[in-house]
Amino acid sequence: MAGITWHYVFKFIITGDPAVGKSSLLVRLTDQRFLANPDPTLGVEFGSKLITIPEDNKVVKLQCWDTAGQETFRAITRSYYRGAAGCLLVYDVTSRDSFEHLRTWLADVRKHADPHVSCILVGNKVDLCDEPTPSGASAPPTSSNSPNTSSSASSIIKSSKSSASPSKVKRRSREVSYEEAELWAKQEGLLFVEASAKSGLNVEQAFVDASRDILEKIKKGVFDDDRSPGVKQSLPNSALVDGSAVKSTCCA
Amino acid sequence: MEFFSQTYVALRGPTGAPQTPTEIISKLSDRLSPATLLADRRAAVLSLKGLARDCRQEVGEMALPGLLDVLFNDAEVDAEIGKAVLETLDTLCDTEDVTSGSRESGFKYTDKVVASDKTTHFLFALLADSYVRLPTLQFLTTLLHNRRQVIQSYFLTAPAGPGSIIAVLEDKRDVIRNEAITMVQALISQSPDIQKVLAFEGAFEKLFNIITQEGGVDGGLVAQSALTCVDGLLRFNNSNQSYFRETSLPPVLCALLQFPVSLDIQTTAPQEFALQFWDTDKQANTSLIVGIMGMLVGSKGHGVQETLPYTRCLIEMALASNAPTALKIQALRLLPTNINFPLSEISLTPYVPVPDTNGEEWDRLELASALDALIELAIHGEYNGLDAGKRTKESLELRTAAASVFENFVRKDEIRQAIVQSMVPPEDPDSPQRSRTTPLLHALASPPNTASALEPADVISTHIATLMFSHLLRSSPRAKASARLIIPGPLQPTHDQASNFFVPADGTPAEPAQEEPEDEDEPQTLLQILTENLSLALLSRSRTNASDREAREWDRYVVGYLCLLSQWLWEDPKSVKDFLDAGGLGVLVEPINQTSEVDSVVPGLCSFLLGICYEYNRQPGEITRATIHPIINRLSVDMLIGQMARFREDERFKSVGPDSIVLSFPPPSLQPSVKPAVGTLDEGEIWFDWAFVDFWKSNYYTVQRGFSTDPDQLSSSAGMHLSEELNGHHADLLSGQSAEATMLIASLRDVIRQQTGEIESLQKRLNEVNNVESQVAELQKQVESLHSQLASSETKRKDVEKEQEDLLVLLDEVTSKRRKDKARLREAGLEVSEDEADDDDDDDDEE
Ligand SMILES: Nc1nc2c(ncn2[C@@H]2O[C@H](COP(=O)(O)OP(=O)(O)O)[C@@H](O)[C@H]2O)c(=O)[nH]1
Ligand SMILES: [Mg+2]
Repeated sequence: MAGITWHYVFKFIITGDPAVGKSSLLVRLTDQRFLANPDPTLGVEFGSKLITIPEDNKVVKLQCWDTAGQETFRAITRSYYRGAAGCLLVYDVTSRDSFEHLRTWLADVRKHADPHVSCILVGNKVDLCDEPTPSGASAPPTSSNSPNTSSSASSIIKSSKSSASPSKVKRRSREVSYEEAELWAKQEGLLFVEASAKSGLNVEQAFVDASRDILEKIKKGVFDDDRSPGVKQSLPNSALVDGSAVKSTCCA
Repeated sequence: MEFFSQTYVALRGPTGAPQTPTEIISKLSDRLSPATLLADRRAAVLSLKGLARDCRQEVGEMALPGLLDVLFNDAEVDAEIGKAVLETLDTLCDTEDVTSGSRESGFKYTDKVVASDKTTHFLFALLADSYVRLPTLQFLTTLLHNRRQVIQSYFLTAPAGPGSIIAVLEDKRDVIRNEAITMVQALISQSPDIQKVLAFEGAFEKLFNIITQEGGVDGGLVAQSALTCVDGLLRFNNSNQSYFRETSLPPVLCALLQFPVSLDIQTTAPQEFALQFWDTDKQANTSLIVGIMGMLVGSKGHGVQETLPYTRCLIEMALASNAPTALKIQALRLLPTNINFPLSEISLTPYVPVPDTNGEEWDRLELASALDALIELAIHGEYNGLDAGKRTKESLELRTAAASVFENFVRKDEIRQAIVQSMVPPEDPDSPQRSRTTPLLHALASPPNTASALEPADVISTHIATLMFSHLLRSSPRAKASARLIIPGPLQPTHDQASNFFVPADGTPAEPAQEEPEDEDEPQTLLQILTENLSLALLSRSRTNASDREAREWDRYVVGYLCLLSQWLWEDPKSVKDFLDAGGLGVLVEPINQTSEVDSVVPGLCSFLLGICYEYNRQPGEITRATIHPIINRLSVDMLIGQMARFREDERFKSVGPDSIVLSFPPPSLQPSVKPAVGTLDEGEIWFDWAFVDFWKSNYYTVQRGFSTDPDQLSSSAGMHLSEELNGHHADLLSGQSAEATMLIASLRDVIRQQTGEIESLQKRLNEVNNVESQVAELQKQVESLHSQLASSETKRKDVEKEQEDLLVLLDEVTSKRRKDKARLREAGLEVSEDEADDDDDDDDEE
């Protein structure tokens, strides 16, 4: 029941294959924690956080939903897209499949979300890979130009092994190179970052980048007709003031 | 009507001969085919609708596929046919009618309808059509009622999505909106995914709009089902709870109850919250809001700060409002067990009804702290003790709920210590002071009225006071040490002192005058007073002329005192000494000895307390363990253990649960002999609280074992009865060993704790007399000796532990040897005794 202390509320959704680390990213963002063995029944599927975009001196409240990644729920996942201002498309850098599948996820977003939704591609679990996250760093050890079927097959075996005894897993080989993902993001008009829910690397950054993008759109007047259901601006007078809440909801 | 006759005419064959329903329905079903004209199909559906109730079987068997086709093809085109076909289908699937076969066929047709996702998906899409919304919703509700999980899984894949649901919640037509709430209530049940997506789509906002539009808690049934939906979206759903607190709605919950959201600690709650007009609808709606508040207060992941207004609201409602008693009970029970609320810093204004104003006028009482009001509520009951004597179940539930909140509140050692300490009189060697009399202390120490008839209200006050005082002392050596110093001030007797000289008709003499705390020069400690009151109550209960009911009241006194004393004396040799010095031993022995068949509670508890006294009688004094030992032998250990076993079987003890300590009165077993007074049909009574039951269950075994130890033995003597025990009861011995080890460790730990306490206080004094070196030196010496005492008890403990280990090894050897021997015996064809063989079986099971 704390007072409103934000300029904007942005609704975010996080999608991608199961087990790529969506829930982990959310927990990392909101609680600064990482759970090696998250309890899937616990259902931490919503989280919120205040972030500041320094250039604009604006406080943004992020409301993030981790959508259920199961194929069977796709229909319902779509309703989240409709209401979102930002979208994190997450894959696991050690799982080629999870990256490939993002095409379908992105197609879904394109089809159902607001045309102005800001998307950011997030390659998660970089902590599992050898090299530090590059920004224009050297080529990763695994070949990325011609991913063949055998490599993705081997990854399945590896990952199933790892789930059996996660504590013993030290490192897995990267199956999606930074460059490849960056290129695809560029082609599709997505922001891009590699991150790790485990180490915390770039997690908040991903949300800040996407939020900055949304703010740019707001400044350009994209949402002037108040079309995006995922953006809410605090009322002129009630911003940063306590107690306005009752009024605004009772007669909403 | 005209329509029906037309149809029937049309259906009557060329001869005009009447047809059987089967023939009619078969013809009508044929007409559902897309080949016929829309008008004919419409007529056929309407006829079938008319027949569906009376000829459900036939319509279902013959027309269901055709009806579904009509639904898919025509419902969107023609509202009339759409409405009719939906209503027909709804009738066919209805399972509310419990007449023979009807339920079964309802389920059967439902299963046909939900065999694939097609119909369900279609229905959710059809919600967009505002003309057939109502029958669509009704049909969906029926389907959800019959096969909820299937419909829920279809909903998750329905292209129409949750948006359609939110839209119907906004329908301007009340009927439709209300039906939508009913449907949503079923749809979200036990499905976190659906709950989450509806919350995302704005269901909370829509539901609260409905609630406020309807008039909040005064909004009757509609508000009630909307609130039920809100509850359903939140309960067991972490994500939605987190999201909910992100919205602007949490303060609305307070506002709905007229409770100010931002009420600082110093401000008292407004009267418009405290005093309201109540009716059953309002009570139901308020109860839902209170339930939601309690859920949010109790769930993890919410900052205390955030839920503080809810906690305050629940407390104010329970302690200082005219809300119905059921709501107050609910509010108290929902306060979290780890209640972290400054009860003593909040001031509130309790109210009492002005007599004969039918609850319309209220008097304001003096401002009190929430803690005082809580204690007052527990000890005297609602509205300053109005009706306290009636003992309705509800009022006892309220008072014990208050006592439980108190129990949770004093769980923190510093809090209980502070409360007990505040009852200790200031130290003044010249003129010994009395304790400040608090309501709790007063109710606790007031002597039972032995003169005239017992006042039920007094009995219950004292009883609840013993429960609450136990919460303060249980397993806190510090609190017990402070409590020993309490010297209650002169107690205002609730009844005329003079009447104490009243001699009962049967000639039993009044209590000797010396038992009265009249001797002002020699003030008694609380422990002495309680011992005396116990004795008084035991004497009175054995008076022959007491009625059953009166005897039961005396038993209640006795039980209250015994339970408190058991928990007080447990692990506390100094308190045991005080009790024995006050004559406690004699008080206990008599009731154990004079056993009657009917009564198991009092002798059992007396045996228990006697065992505690024996076990923890470790202070030098007049009455030593050697004094008690022969008494125990005279009574016989078997008899004592038997009494305790009987106690454990008593219904009054057995029926107590963590959340149910108020029992029905009269109990089923006493129905014939004790008649309830007229007009007290829902009368209840209390005997034990869960804390005591728990205490007893954890410790009775230790007490039983203790009876058999020799006076000069430490509480756990490893070598005792070795030979006897080896004789076939080694499993018993093993558990006995560990129980004793626990006990020994506990008692040593207690010694250490006491010594630490003493060191603490010595150090405090050390600071005070900093300059006086000689004193310091002396104290240091004391500290040293305590240290060495500590070390020696530590060594002793280790020795005993070692001894036990050796014993276990020995035992193990003996056991395996015995087993080998037995095997050999069997091999040799000799018979091995039954129970020994059983023993062996048990062993095998365990391995
Ligand atoms: N090493 C590593 N493991 C991660 C990371 N993020 C998630 N995981 C693990 O991946 C598994 C799946 O994560 P979860 O968050 O449940 O994925 P979700 O199904 O997409 O929500 C869990 O065992 C996580 O501990 C990461 O950044 N690094
Ligand atoms: Mg997840």
